[in-house]
Amino acid sequence: MSGPDAMHDEMPGFFPGRPGGEHDEPLLDMLLERRPIPPGAPPELHDLARMLDAAAGPGEPGDLAGEAAARAAFSRLPSPAGTSPAAPRSARHRLTKRPARGRLPLAAALAMAAAGLGSATAAYVGVLPSPIQHLAHVVIGAPPPTDGAPAQPLVVGSSSQAVPSPRPTSPAPRRTLRVTATPASSRPGSWHWNSANPRYSPKPSYASCQPTPGPTQNQAHASPTPALSPHVSPSPGSAGLGTSQHQGRPRAERDLGSPRPSASSFAPSPSGTSCPSLPG
Amino acid sequence: MIGAAFGETLAHAKAGDDAAFTLLFRDVQPALLRYLRLIAPDAEDVAGDTWLQVVGGLRRFRGEEQEFRAWLFTIARHRAADSGRSRARRPAVPLDMTEAEQFFTSPDAADQALEAVSTRKVLELIASLPPDQAEIIMLRVVAGLEAREVARIVGKSPGAVRVAAHRGLRKLAGLAGLPENERASTKPGVTR
Repeated sequence: MSGPDAMHDEMPGFFPGRPGGEHDEPLLDMLLERRPIPPGAPPELHDLARMLDAAAGPGEPGDLAGEAAARAAFSRLPSPAGTSPAAPRSARHRLTKRPARGRLPLAAALAMAAAGLGSATAAYVGVLPSPIQHLAHVVIGAPPPTDGAPAQPLVVGSSSQAVPSPRPTSPAPRRTLRVTATPASSRPGSWHWNSANPRYSPKPSYASCQPTPGPTQNQAHASPTPALSPHVSPSPGSAGLGTSQHQGRPRAERDLGSPRPSASSFAPSPSGTSCPSLPG
Repeated sequence: MIGAAFGETLAHAKAGDDAAFTLLFRDVQPALLRYLRLIAPDAEDVAGDTWLQVVGGLRRFRGEEQEFRAWLFTIARHRAADSGRSRARRPAVPLDMTEAEQFFTSPDAADQALEAVSTRKVLELIASLPPDQAEIIMLRVVAGLEAREVARIVGKSPGAVRVAAHRGLRKLAGLAGLPENERASTKPGVTR
């Protein structure tokens, strides 16, 4: 008889040094599984059961010392909907005071974004050096450089609004473009700005409205759609476009060594005007 | 052990319930610390690392209480091994006599009867067993894991785990029956 119900004197194998240890294995398994042993088991076995009970006894107050840290890590977890595998890892790194891996790339990305934004702003303001400004003009449609040989024809409006010039496709003699932003009056042979850059194509607004030569130029304000047409002043210094009260007194004038715009980039306006209709 | 309420507790903890997580923590942490004190000198630090990893993977865990405890103690064992490797790279000056050895050889401890054994005493008795036997007994008795789970954790077959546990229990019974001064002589690595 060697089962759990065996009596003390029938289980000689339990005691250390005695033969027949294989007979007490079921009792030892009961001890390991924390099951109650039969009353007839050897007293040493009961002592051992008490020892194991003490080993698995309730925790002492010091056993819960790490509870605050564990709860803090648990509370830092994102909500279940936003659970990501990276979150606990970063929480662990914060607890162990290790440097976060993602901070450096984030700082670099922010610096890059700030630099790009600043460069774009500077490009649109027009304060960049000429080569860079020209590059910005080509790439992002910023105003062309204001000095230097490769400058484009720059048309400046009356309200200090720079209007970009079309891209040159062939060299042309230097010309002076004088443009005002108000469409109140027009004059034969005046300039009409047109842009080949679709990103910078002006909306039908009066800032970019210029009359075109011809008999229908005074009907410009009646035209419902703006048009793009090339009109190059035959002589520099000729009268610029302006309002009736600003005739002969252009507000901004740029002497630009710009090449003559090509016909492909300047299309004549069917209606002979580039101005939108006047409200009212 | 939480028992039948474990599933609900775990579900609440996964949903972010702090009270449910605290219940899980308080249920396992004493056994975890006792186990780690057996296998790692820096048990509290290893326990902290273990819980951080448990917190990180809690929402992905699937299983019952036995599987949860087996998962947690597996993590703890891995973290203890990491800690041991880290300590090996930072050699420390060994002490002549550990605190447990002092306990077994001190006159005050020799006067105490076996009936008055405390948890601390028993744990130190278990710690005096051969390391594999001590670890298996701790995982079986203190952590409450099944033999097959312990086998998976320690990397042995269930049969080998059972044999080692039986040997450890027999030796533990022998240690408990010995006078205190004789116990110390049976400790591994301790010579008179």
